[in-house]
Amino acid sequence: MKSHVRRLSLILILVLLLGALATVSVAAQGDVAREDTVIFDIDSSDVPNPTNFNPEVPGTNKNQGAHQAMWEPLFILNYETGKIQPWLAESFTPNDKQDVWTLKLRDGATWSDGVPFTADDVDFTINMLLNDKTDSLSDAPGMQQWVSSVKKIDNLTEEFDLKAPDPRFQLDYFSVRIWGSLDILPKHVWEGQDPFTFTFYDQAKGWPIGTGPYKLTSAAPTQFVWDRDDNWWGAKTGFHALPEPKRLIWVIAPSEDQKALLLSTHQLDSAMNISLGAYQAVQAKNPNVIAWHKDLPYAWADPCPRELNLNTTVAPWTDPNMRKAISLIIDRSKNIEIAYEGTTTASQTMFVQYGGMAPYITAIVNAGYGISPTADVAGGQKLIEAAGYVKGSDGMYAKDGKNLSLNIQVSTDTVEYARSTNVIVEELRAAGVDATSQPLTGSTASNNENQGTFEGSWGLESCGSVNEPWVSMDTLNPNWLQPVGTRANHDLVRWSGDGATAYGKIVDQIGTLPLGDPQIPGLVTQAYKYVFDETPVIPLVQAEKLVPFDTTYWTNWPTAENNYNHPATWWNSTHQIILNLHKASK
Amino acid sequence: MGGMTRGYLLRRVLIFFLTIWIAASIIWLIPRLAPGDPITAMVSRMLSRSGYIRDSAAIIEGWKARFGLNDPLPVQYIRYLSNIIHLDFGYSLAYFPTTVNEIIALALPWTVGLLLIAVFITFILGNFLGAVMVWRGTPRLFRMLIPVGMIFTSLPSILAAIFLIYVFAFLLNWFPMMGPYDIGMQPGFNLAFIGNVIYHGTLPALSIVIVSFGYWSLGMRGMMITVEGEDYMQLARAKGLSPFYVLYRYMVRNAILPQVTAFALTLGGLVSGQVLVEYMFSYQGMGSIIYNAILTQDFPVIQGTSFILILMTALAVLIIDLLYPLIDPRISYERG
Repeated sequence: MKSHVRRLSLILILVLLLGALATVSVAAQGDVAREDTVIFDIDSSDVPNPTNFNPEVPGTNKNQGAHQAMWEPLFILNYETGKIQPWLAESFTPNDKQDVWTLKLRDGATWSDGVPFTADDVDFTINMLLNDKTDSLSDAPGMQQWVSSVKKIDNLTEEFDLKAPDPRFQLDYFSVRIWGSLDILPKHVWEGQDPFTFTFYDQAKGWPIGTGPYKLTSAAPTQFVWDRDDNWWGAKTGFHALPEPKRLIWVIAPSEDQKALLLSTHQLDSAMNISLGAYQAVQAKNPNVIAWHKDLPYAWADPCPRELNLNTTVAPWTDPNMRKAISLIIDRSKNIEIAYEGTTTASQTMFVQYGGMAPYITAIVNAGYGISPTADVAGGQKLIEAAGYVKGSDGMYAKDGKNLSLNIQVSTDTVEYARSTNVIVEELRAAGVDATSQPLTGSTASNNENQGTFEGSWGLESCGSVNEPWVSMDTLNPNWLQPVGTRANHDLVRWSGDGATAYGKIVDQIGTLPLGDPQIPGLVTQAYKYVFDETPVIPLVQAEKLVPFDTTYWTNWPTAENNYNHPATWWNSTHQIILNLHKASK
Repeated sequence: MGGMTRGYLLRRVLIFFLTIWIAASIIWLIPRLAPGDPITAMVSRMLSRSGYIRDSAAIIEGWKARFGLNDPLPVQYIRYLSNIIHLDFGYSLAYFPTTVNEIIALALPWTVGLLLIAVFITFILGNFLGAVMVWRGTPRLFRMLIPVGMIFTSLPSILAAIFLIYVFAFLLNWFPMMGPYDIGMQPGFNLAFIGNVIYHGTLPALSIVIVSFGYWSLGMRGMMITVEGEDYMQLARAKGLSPFYVLYRYMVRNAILPQVTAFALTLGGLVSGQVLVEYMFSYQGMGSIIYNAILTQDFPVIQGTSFILILMTALAVLIIDLLYPLIDPRISYERG
């Protein structure tokens, strides 16, 4: 019997050891003290493929540290100033027609294996994307839409010939406009590999590599460890001193409770996004935790404002006045108070309300096309009644024996979406619209929007503009119009007709003007008149991201007062944050 | 083979393969009945991360073609069957170019390691408590306390996990609240790491144990009561054998047979992991894989994990059926 027990114990221990060995270890390194380590979280339940570092296949995680610590962008858009800051590249200048762009790389930049970062790498990466006949590598559609060819001028200069003028070419693809940017790949590693199946990981060869100041130490489904590369090109060339953190760790903390517990006990230096309740609970335990704002709304607004979309092909929302009625009935302040606990602000237009967008938003509001944060229920009801609806004994409007109903689909991806939708539904029902919400998985909701098979949809489709208005405006451009049942990339509400056509023409004109052209605010106002009159989109509130930072070990986190850039630590621009961090003991 | 005919053996093996085929077909069909498709889900996730994709339709079409999702369903079905015969579940749709086998290989040892310990502890503890509840030699107070301890068994494991995290990880700070090992620890084949893995596995294992030992206790108690009424028990006592000897040699050994059968089935189901427990503790096992796969509509991963589960369960049942006549001479599959 005893020998059986012993054997059984041995088997159990062996099984545990196997489990331990299944974790991929690049190289066991010496321990790094907690005060030299920064710990971030990944907003995910798990990373089942921790050793896939191919940034061009859609399933790859990049925010496990890969594009915050290892892959550097060519440029970084500063949300606070609206300016594009050089990083791996020094400049990207267009010709007068804006259809030939010349990229100048920074001299002395190298990959972490010591090989110089040159125009050959840019040339190779762009050609790889242009040669993707399936157009399905993540950055292929963008490059194939715009780029005719690329040419290496010298080791540090690359020329891009575009198919048409694009004033936003640098901003859209190479400047971390939102979340990430096109990653330049090392030619000496990627050449000869199948870009679809190459994982860019080989422990023996030291892959993956990047130009950033950190190298991968270990990758497991629940955590990624990156250690500082003291040979980083930036420190050698004087671009920037070595970052102070010796180690960066990204861990999976799937639930908000776990994030809060880890933050409370100094086991996490920053979390991606938590609710106000969790933030206050954390602060009660750990007063060193700060956020973007010192007081309400605490949160930073991310660039995707929330909105309600009504399908313009579904009656009665084919009538612009009926769409306007819904917009008037919605009380944005109430939505902020109830659904967001005061952590965000009302949208005045379809745009994100950053400093760089202020000239355009101001022009629209001054022209009388802005929307009120409070409801005008009587005004909305008047429009409904003008369309022939009469309120019944049940308090709901009806016409020809049929209630005025509105089904709003909402993604279940985060609880925020459902909470906001539920408040809207209650407001509409109180005003006499028989509204309901339909929670759907994110992919189903998204697919319905793209196919046009929805009635109402809570979403963020106007997302895109950050420091210029064209990208968001183009999302309503009827150039993108597709019939219901055919996948559309934009104009998901299927807005069409004279107003839409006139709007599209002005948006096309804006699209050809250089960034910052003085004509743009006037043109934006002209185009927005059609949006105001026909209400193809109902802007709701700005997006909120409450990003907590623990100052126990690290200081100089970005805040509204110390706004060297925004606080999104899951973006490619996090390189800036990491370089700015200081040890708290100093 | 004692107590077994060749006809029975053939029939039993045939049923085994039939079960596998039907189950494999069902797990192929069910994800396809759900609304949406995995490629759109994948692009939706890209969109939610980056906020903007230039031409999502092109990306979706490209990847659908690459994965053969535009092929007629019968073609997809035949391809699927021919692949699973070789235990090749193909590429994960959500995490391409990682294969399903690579994903499972990374997760399975963690789940088996965690659950094997939890299941063994549960089995031993549950059967022990079930036995002593019936045994006459058990002190009265102890007998009364056992049912109280079973209150936990009516809890779902996720609630037990939350309770344990709050008490032992947050309030008392005795155990880590998440992860398979310490944040920042370098995995390696050394005692420090192994000890850390066991330390981290304690609360997840405990949250399984406290909600499931009652199931074994009740089963064992029922069997013990039945055994206690048997004539040979009277005889054993009349012979003046010690109570403990009677408990161990006469009662437990006879009562435990059905429990062993159930235990074998439980082992077969081990590979599916404990989805919610693994999620709560951020444990990198099969449960997390299945949870992710369902969220992302990753057909091949759902099929791969389900197929392994079915295969293991069917194998466990087959082995038990074939072993029964050997374990218990009273059971015979011979005709007449």
